[in-house]
Amino acid sequence: MSTFREHKSIVDRAAADRGRHKKKLEKAIKESIKDVIADESIIGQNGKKKIRIAVKGIKEYRFIYGNNEKNGQAGSGGKHDLKRGQRIGEKRARKGASDNAGNEQGEETYEVEITLEDLAEYLFADLELPDLDKKHFRYLSEDVMRRKGYRFEGIRPRLSKKETLKRKIKRKKRAIRASAHDPDANERFPFHKNDLKYHYMKPHPKENTSAVVFFLMDVSGSMTTEKKYIARSYFFLLYQFLRHKYDKIEVVFISHTTTASRVSEDEFFQRSTTGGTMMSSALEVELEIINKEYHPNSWNIYTFYAGDGENWQSDNNSAVNLLSSLKEVNQMIVYTEISPNRTHPEEEEEAASTWTGPTFAAWREEDRDSMWTMCTHLMDTKFKRLLLTKSDQIWDSFKEIFGIKA
Amino acid sequence: MTDWTLDELNHWDEKICEVGATFGLNWFDIDYEIIDYHEMISAMSYTGLPTHYRHWSFGKAYERTHTLYNAGASGLPYEMIINSNPSISYLMSENPMHIHILTMAHCIGHSDFFKNNRTFAQTSPELVIPKFKAAAKYVKTLIEDPSIGIQEVEDILDASHAIKYQVPRFPGIKRHSRSALKQIYAQKILDDNTGEYDDFDIHKIPLERDYNILSFIMEHSRNLTEWQRNLISIVEENSHYFIPQALTKIMNEGWAVLMHEKIVQELNLPDKYYIPFLKLHNQVVRPHLGRINPYHLGYNIFKRLEAQSGFEACLLAREVHNDITFLRNYLDEEMCQALNLFSYSYKQKEDQSSIDETSDALGWEKVRDSLISNIGLNSIPVIYVEEMQKDHTLILRHEHDGRDLDMKYARKVFDYIRDLWGDEINLFTVLENDLWEF
Repeated sequence: MSTFREHKSIVDRAAADRGRHKKKLEKAIKESIKDVIADESIIGQNGKKKIRIAVKGIKEYRFIYGNNEKNGQAGSGGKHDLKRGQRIGEKRARKGASDNAGNEQGEETYEVEITLEDLAEYLFADLELPDLDKKHFRYLSEDVMRRKGYRFEGIRPRLSKKETLKRKIKRKKRAIRASAHDPDANERFPFHKNDLKYHYMKPHPKENTSAVVFFLMDVSGSMTTEKKYIARSYFFLLYQFLRHKYDKIEVVFISHTTTASRVSEDEFFQRSTTGGTMMSSALEVELEIINKEYHPNSWNIYTFYAGDGENWQSDNNSAVNLLSSLKEVNQMIVYTEISPNRTHPEEEEEAASTWTGPTFAAWREEDRDSMWTMCTHLMDTKFKRLLLTKSDQIWDSFKEIFGIKA
Repeated sequence: MTDWTLDELNHWDEKICEVGATFGLNWFDIDYEIIDYHEMISAMSYTGLPTHYRHWSFGKAYERTHTLYNAGASGLPYEMIINSNPSISYLMSENPMHIHILTMAHCIGHSDFFKNNRTFAQTSPELVIPKFKAAAKYVKTLIEDPSIGIQEVEDILDASHAIKYQVPRFPGIKRHSRSALKQIYAQKILDDNTGEYDDFDIHKIPLERDYNILSFIMEHSRNLTEWQRNLISIVEENSHYFIPQALTKIMNEGWAVLMHEKIVQELNLPDKYYIPFLKLHNQVVRPHLGRINPYHLGYNIFKRLEAQSGFEACLLAREVHNDITFLRNYLDEEMCQALNLFSYSYKQKEDQSSIDETSDALGWEKVRDSLISNIGLNSIPVIYVEEMQKDHTLILRHEHDGRDLDMKYARKVFDYIRDLWGDEINLFTVLENDLWEF
């Protein structure tokens, strides 16, 4: 006869070792973050949501035999006909994780569950935030009155009872020493005007730690799913980063074609509309919302625009004008073009500098009136311009706009 | 939802035990722990031991097992038993009744094997749990000691784990202390009539090849503190628990499958249990294409032995053999052919593996040898301590059997050993027919 015991465990015994393992994995996680950011499934989720990411495992090294001709293995062939020299398995180069028992040579990968918050931690741990603070995260300040020291003059509500009483007691002691007052006699020792002390209030700058982020996106016909997908990953990252920095953060989504409207997050990413492109419409809506709801004195305002750069030429001027007025109230504006087919401007320049054949001025001419070129003069620490061609550039671009060398 | 009650478990257990006894099985009492999925994964990560010292590698094992089961790469766990007295086994509460019946019958097979196979004769199963418990407690105090802490503990454990299988492979042979060994060799020199020991230096360390690298380092390193030596000793002791199991994996599983099949056939199970039982049983013993499924191999060998020589012969075989002798004795041409075994290797030139030998009259012996050279501890290279020089440089040598080491891994392990030893070390091996020195 055997015995049976229903085990009711109170502790998860593997928890501590899993935690320790996870710590070791953090490095590996950081390395796979690029892939994670490019992954659609993590975007638009709240921070508590758990995501699974594939991570290269930490190897436990021991002496093993190499996988070569001298190290023959055996296996069973089931019902298959076998011949000497018959090729089996896949080519190594294509082979991913090997599950060959007792053979750890194959790259071991497995999934780890982390929350989006953890992910953000890993992401921004790299970024040397203290430096960033000074450079790019100016908090708005607002004066608040704070008590600082005491004065003899003041209004009644600021009377410091403690200090007043202290002065009265001192005066009473002096009076006793000078025999001007007999403590044993049933005699009153009243307050005097000179006893009164008041709190002094001094204005004190207070950092304002609430922020509002405007995500603006072109949803016109030319914005393909691929482009939107890149935009989404990019916005996610920005959101997580700012959320990390500020106590309170609000997000406003504005999508536009030739007209713009404030939309919900879901609509922002999912709705596809046809039509032309007038960037100024979105900027106008933003300005309107700022004026109504987010006063620049109490909100740190960030604006991130994503489009494919195919703004109507007639609209470019008004868009640039609006951008420069928005720049006055924003902590940062980033104008982003997502064009999967374009070469990166730096590469273009490089190509141009090494090009020895005839130049075609007309080609460059065409670019002169584009949004990209027109906002060049706005560029400074508050205004950034960015070109994304692939989703795996997001992370590096992100570091770039915040002034970090990758 | 479960389809069983504790009463039913007791009912079937009683029957299984009755039937098991009629086959002449003799097992330790079994304590079944009924646990949920997460606890099962936990228990599996710690190789079934209800108590074990902490190390991140078990956390890793947990994540990996969990991932595998979630991905459906592996069926749900059903059996795990540890060699203690009483035997401890786990039943996963989410499993249906027919799996419990199979597990319980299977566990009796394992427990009987632990109790009777001579490879396990020296394992003192009564002490298994207390030993692991004491080790867990000791490691915990080190981790909590502010002057030591988890990082330093891990440094020693990581390095020790890298060479945990570099211990003698024959269970039950006592390690001689240096003074005892010195006496043995002094006697040999005294009795030497042939001049064999004329040049023998009785002061050299070690006096003979030492295959127990962990113990050697623990005894002879001049750079270790006491708690570090104790930790190394804990890892070394743990290995002794696992070695008999590694030496008998195929037999042990084969035996347990044979017994669960025989027992269940006598139980007169109702169809609602018997049909799913058969399905599961067939899954367990199916061949894994291109690999060796120990359940499949062991079961088929026992099955044929029973058909040819009767069950008594099986009982005897489960007592006296280990996997190597078992396969050498019973894996003949007919068996190799029946199981359609083949050998293969990875060809650098083609970047692909191809079949070297099949189990026909010409090839089956080579197939068998390939198989034997890769089972259990045979898949782990043998490294021994050759010499400790005057300046404490440690000379290690790989016992090369034709198979080269994986150099990337060897390099890492080399670093671990040097960290542990604390003085210089050399490691000699053969790579592509040339002597190679690390």
